[in-house]
Amino acid sequence: MAATILVVDDDPALSEMIGIVLTSEGFEPVFCADGAIAVQAFAEHKPDLVLLDLMLPGKDGIEVCSEIREESGVPIIMLTAKSDTTDVVRGLESGADDYMVKPFNPKELVARIRTRLRPVASQSTDVLQIGDLRVDVAGHEVRRGTTKINLTPLEFELLLALAMKPQQVFTREMLLEQVWGYHYKADTRLVNVHVQRLRAKVEEDPDNPRIVTTVRGVGYRAGSS
Amino acid sequence: MRFDWRTWPARVLRQWRVSLQFRTVSTTVLLSAFAVLVTGTFILVSISNNLFDSRSRQVQDEARSAHNLAQEILDASVTGDPDEAVEIDSLPGTVRDKVLPSTSTAGGTSFALLRSPGQSTAQVMQSTRSTNFPDVLSEALRKAVRADAEHVHYQSVTLPSGAPALVVGSEVTVPSAGDYELYLVYDLAQAQQTLSFVQQTLVLGGFALVVLIGAITYTIVRLVVGPIRLAAETSEKLAAGQLEERIPERGDDVIATLARSFNGMADSLQEQIMKLAELSQVQQRFVSDVSHELRTPLTTIRLAGDVLYDQRDGFEPSTARAAELLHAQVQRFEVLLADLLEVSRYDAGAVQLELEPTNLVRLVEDAIDAIRPLADERGSELLLVAPGGYFEAEVDARRIRRILRNLLGNAVEHGEGKPIVVMVDSNESAIALTVRDHGIGMRPDEVAQVFERFWRADPSRQRTIGGTGLGLAISLEDATLHQGMLEVWSEFGTGTCFRLTLPRERGEPILSSPLELPPDETAIEEVVAGA
Repeated sequence: MAATILVVDDDPALSEMIGIVLTSEGFEPVFCADGAIAVQAFAEHKPDLVLLDLMLPGKDGIEVCSEIREESGVPIIMLTAKSDTTDVVRGLESGADDYMVKPFNPKELVARIRTRLRPVASQSTDVLQIGDLRVDVAGHEVRRGTTKINLTPLEFELLLALAMKPQQVFTREMLLEQVWGYHYKADTRLVNVHVQRLRAKVEEDPDNPRIVTTVRGVGYRAGSS
Repeated sequence: MRFDWRTWPARVLRQWRVSLQFRTVSTTVLLSAFAVLVTGTFILVSISNNLFDSRSRQVQDEARSAHNLAQEILDASVTGDPDEAVEIDSLPGTVRDKVLPSTSTAGGTSFALLRSPGQSTAQVMQSTRSTNFPDVLSEALRKAVRADAEHVHYQSVTLPSGAPALVVGSEVTVPSAGDYELYLVYDLAQAQQTLSFVQQTLVLGGFALVVLIGAITYTIVRLVVGPIRLAAETSEKLAAGQLEERIPERGDDVIATLARSFNGMADSLQEQIMKLAELSQVQQRFVSDVSHELRTPLTTIRLAGDVLYDQRDGFEPSTARAAELLHAQVQRFEVLLADLLEVSRYDAGAVQLELEPTNLVRLVEDAIDAIRPLADERGSELLLVAPGGYFEAEVDARRIRRILRNLLGNAVEHGEGKPIVVMVDSNESAIALTVRDHGIGMRPDEVAQVFERFWRADPSRQRTIGGTGLGLAISLEDATLHQGMLEVWSEFGTGTCFRLTLPRERGEPILSSPLELPPDETAIEEVVAGA
């Protein structure tokens, strides 16, 4: 079945054009032009992915993003007209998985969507252990003891990427390529912000991380060194 | 606090330079101390003179009457009868007993009646001295007394006790016994005491006066300097951006006028700055709005254009070409828009660096790889020279990448298919890179304009990259934001060389650039020959 994609944008022409591109690529787009009813539309259509404009009438895209995140881990790609640091970081912090700066081209858009929709590569069906965390690869589940920790697919993928090779230190660029599918220099803030979000969920003390540790000047690795 | 005495002169000198208060007070104190010293000395000298004069006059008067008294006694007592020789020995005692009470010195007067030497008379009266008569008689005085019997002679002397004294001498004649010298020593200790009391009073009074003047000056200067200092502090705060700072206005005097006009100035300054800040905010808002408003339709156009472009193979040739043109020009429009927004962000001062330790050589390699297809197309060889060293520096990689893209793009664009040499080097304070092409170069007047917005080397020259004309202007801003330098050297017919120098650490000054500009031609020739 074709993946349903919710396009939340107030510009009808752009929405329609994105719709044309998505349809031609085999996706099924649904639209919403008002931030105030975006969450409602999300509940109604249960999309597989959300394309979310940051500047919306009714309700700010960032607010919409955090509201969707509260109830679902569905991939969200922000569409933003501003590449200014604060907007992008605020969007990512509110839970967006990725962002695209307008104007983008269709190939880029489709590539981003496909990366987010692809199933997590699970070569191993094992259960991985990082610190006191059990990562069930096949079941897409992370537990500390008996407590289940809810991660979005992206956060799960990020944790998995690190957990699969606990000996390796991952640079931000490596993670961008592996998790986000960027094959060229991209914004390393994506990694920074999502590592923060991941830590907030999996670490017992996010200020003193033990699961995802920083290797100064290089990147991140799983577990303490 | 403890002070090292050796630093005192320097301290005082520094205080003198920086503190108006210190300068004024110390000048006043020094000058008034001098004035007090001069007046005090004058007063002291004239008092002591007066005191001495009047005392000495008194002493002389007394001495004269003592002389007369003594002479009378002597005249009356001696009749010339030799039988009375016995009596003559008691004469000095009689004279002394009569004379001494007639003198007025509280400290006591010493008395001596000495026989003038070198006489032979019928009778001899023994010389007498009172028991405490000090040994102060000078031969000069005695001679003077003997030489002039008419007058009373005196001389200032110092008693063995250190007290000043006057010795008054006169000649008396003892009938039948010849000439005798009558000496009276007047102790002036009391006068001296009075004088030193006056002296003490003067010194103490003068000192108190100077201290008082110092204190008064200090207070007055404080009154005047205080508000000035406050004004200086306030203007410093204003300059530091605390626009709400004002001076309290009190009274109607000149200081209050200063405060009022200062505050007026601050008000209008604040108003202007607020207005400018508001304008800048409006500008930023406008830019951001324009950005959003333009980008959304542009995205639609871009998507539509790309969809058409992807399907151009199925179109009529002319329609296909139209799709290609649309595709290319939309891209150009995008770049132009992005550059314009970047420039206006710089103009609004709304740019922030995102610094991270970055390997410059890696950045350069990436940039060269990115431009290589175009360089190959133009036939330009791209050569990188990066001698070993420390190339890590705190930079905003995105901006440095953009500078590299611009410099390399320009080099390929204007390089006329000849080799392009990129050099990277570093020293202890800076990292640098040069991009040297062997193209047509520029004339001096062109070089001067190269960083201007929308300036193009030669409008007739063919363009392939389709730069916006803002690339170098933005690159210069990027370099300046890093506290670095972007410089150019060019020679018509030889080629152009751009040099980017960045401080190794943020905030540290660049002592010298590791690479030369104009470039080291021999090194470049070697690289080109070796390739």
